[in-house]
Amino acid sequence: MSLDAGTRRTVTILAVCAVIVLALGITVGVLREGGEAGADGPAVALAEPLPMPDAVLTNTDGTPYDLRTETAGKATLLYFGYTHCPDACPIQLKVLADVMKTLQPDVRDQLEVVFITTDPGRDTPEIMRAYLDQFDSTFIGLTGTDSELQDLQIAAGLPVAVAEPMDENGGYIIGHATQVLAFGPDGNCNEVFPLGVRESDWAAALPGLVGVSS
Amino acid sequence: MRWWCSQLFEEWSWTPRPYLGVWTIVAGLWLSRHLSLRRWKARLGTSGVTTRQRWWFWLGLLTFWLSSDWPVGALGAGYLLMVHMAQYLLYTFAAAPLLLLSMPEWKLRAVVQRFHLHGTLKVLTRPLPAVLLANGVLISTHMPWTVDTVRVSQIGSFLLDIVWLLAGFLLWLPVISPMEEFRVRSVPLRLVYLFGAAGLTPMIPGGIFTFARYPLFRTYEIAPRVGVSALSDQQIAGAMMSAFGMPVIWIVAAVVWYRWAREEERNSPPIVRRRVVSGPDPG
Repeated sequence: MSLDAGTRRTVTILAVCAVIVLALGITVGVLREGGEAGADGPAVALAEPLPMPDAVLTNTDGTPYDLRTETAGKATLLYFGYTHCPDACPIQLKVLADVMKTLQPDVRDQLEVVFITTDPGRDTPEIMRAYLDQFDSTFIGLTGTDSELQDLQIAAGLPVAVAEPMDENGGYIIGHATQVLAFGPDGNCNEVFPLGVRESDWAAALPGLVGVSS
Repeated sequence: MRWWCSQLFEEWSWTPRPYLGVWTIVAGLWLSRHLSLRRWKARLGTSGVTTRQRWWFWLGLLTFWLSSDWPVGALGAGYLLMVHMAQYLLYTFAAAPLLLLSMPEWKLRAVVQRFHLHGTLKVLTRPLPAVLLANGVLISTHMPWTVDTVRVSQIGSFLLDIVWLLAGFLLWLPVISPMEEFRVRSVPLRLVYLFGAAGLTPMIPGGIFTFARYPLFRTYEIAPRVGVSALSDQQIAGAMMSAFGMPVIWIVAAVVWYRWAREEERNSPPIVRRRVVSGPDPG
């Protein structure tokens, strides 16, 4: 096959461009994966263990729920959010709900997912129950007074959620922490999972959290 | 107004959001064709295109616009893998071949000459390089890290869409090129090429997507949900990738085969029938 000089030059340029783009893509991909997953997974380790906050809130059936006694002996994923949240909460809850379906029963049975509202004004127990049922009917929803919920967020080492000004329809969004606090069966949280942790990472991490080797 | 679609970390909204880049390209394609047809008519007095080519052009342009603009573009860039897949299929199996069919030979020849592409296309449209290129683009642009890297920015998303369209042109040139020298000469080989280039490989990534235990693409997994779960979305996308190209390929193969058979029949020498004359033996 004989090619003229112009064609050879164009084909060479195209081939070099393709190799550069491919190499760049691989590099970026590897760096991104490495940066997020890392050798220890996507969780962020806490410098000191955080004990389960001592608080009694209200469950979605209207009964009191003592965080420490109710979760004792089980691994607990604690998350603060609100039912009108347009982005972070549905993503975080959906990923958790999906990964729960993939876990072995011995792991799943040892886990509680607890959703604590940062918007007690709108999130009544009934609204929270209906909201959580869209994801997983076993998820626990808790509410309380403004001051109880603020104290709880401080005790959990999180910034207190802040409501933004109302829009013309009377709606508002709330800035809140989006990480999930992962408490082991001993009632201590050693690591938190930021927003964006993937199902496969959760599935790898959760057996260890409950004390079952994966 | 945004230039092109990209991943947005916000709840899906049905409020229309047109993309400036898409409209610019659609207008540019129309204007460029309109001007070149006008020049052709002024010079030679004929329209330069057939009615069928006009139809192909409008259909191709419409497909390109629908698959790039809101809502398909927006959903495909950051919410649903199945829509991303639909975009790929529309670019590759509809927009590219329709736009190619809409081009009269003189127009494509002018474009090829203008950009000095003749030699390059001559090489790239040979069956083996074309198969390798088509499958290379298919696999590399559907790898999770590629999608997760390019979909986060408008420029990345734009480049991905353009690569799909250009790869679509290259995929179809050996089969339906208006310039004969870019077509695979042997029709049976042309059909073998079509199945090799577009019919078989999609089943591999399609199968991986369908049977994966967890979502593979961060872009679509960590996105506000639109109806289906990330895993179901991925399974549907995998099924689409495996199955949707095939009907197009079969239809094109049937048309190519039918035309070839008709052409062969027309070119075969006529059958001469001899009349048997009966009568007394001249001897």
